[in-house]
Amino acid sequence: MQRRDFFKQLGAVATIAAISPAISFAAEAKGPKSPNALSYKAAVDAITGKKGATESSKVKLKVPEIAENGAVVPVTVEVESPMTDSDYVKAIHILATKNANTRCIDVYLTPANGKAMFATRIKLGDTQDVAAVVELSDGTFLTASQNVKVTIGGCG
Amino acid sequence: MSKRKSLIKIKPKKYKDGEIVKVSFMVMHPMETGMRKDKKTKKIIPAKYINSVKFDYNGKVITTMNVWESLSTNPVFTTYMKVNGAGKLSVTYSDSTGEVHEKSTKIKPKG
Repeated sequence: MQRRDFFKQLGAVATIAAISPAISFAAEAKGPKSPNALSYKAAVDAITGKKGATESSKVKLKVPEIAENGAVVPVTVEVESPMTDSDYVKAIHILATKNANTRCIDVYLTPANGKAMFATRIKLGDTQDVAAVVELSDGTFLTASQNVKVTIGGCG
Repeated sequence: MSKRKSLIKIKPKKYKDGEIVKVSFMVMHPMETGMRKDKKTKKIIPAKYINSVKFDYNGKVITTMNVWESLSTNPVFTTYMKVNGAGKLSVTYSDSTGEVHEKSTKIKPKG
């Protein structure tokens, strides 16, 4: 064995040894599992029917870049749409990618709203992306996302 | 069943018929996720969060929402609405423990 290979193997073993206790500890610290737990990918598949959503500048997602308190993060979603009977925004879904349950809220709008906008406040457990998936009346899906840095987590 | 405090705010305060106004519904609700532990007793606090919210205007459903536990304590729901004659706007919500609450305001367009 060459000296170079030996150090490579030694390094690999050391990193595995260092990571493995960290993994098991993280699993224990999580506590009870959410009954509604769902990953981001599964949630988007469920919403769009596996069609996938395209990134669009029509969807305006307003979230603070740095949230000091993860328990209260204001989110505003605005969509450019005439909101007439033939062309309107059907639904706005707000997702937090790394929360145990990705789905925060599904809002189903009608032309009677007059303007496609929704605002609320959500909880974020950790630094992550916040995404909005928008369904239009013609069946297309648009999306927008933004990273939010959380100083103090809002869960637990 | 406890009575919860809730509020419907309409902006601007004076509006005409056909105008698009901002409507926000606020409610005092704990929104427990069911994943948090009580620090003293070390027992899990049972889940209690709002499931669904419905905006009704003169008997016509404007907006419905499916809600999960990731919303903040004392949540706010803000959206827009087109004023279409005088009448009543009522907001109904139900939560995961079966609690149902309704709040309504009068819509009075001027001019």
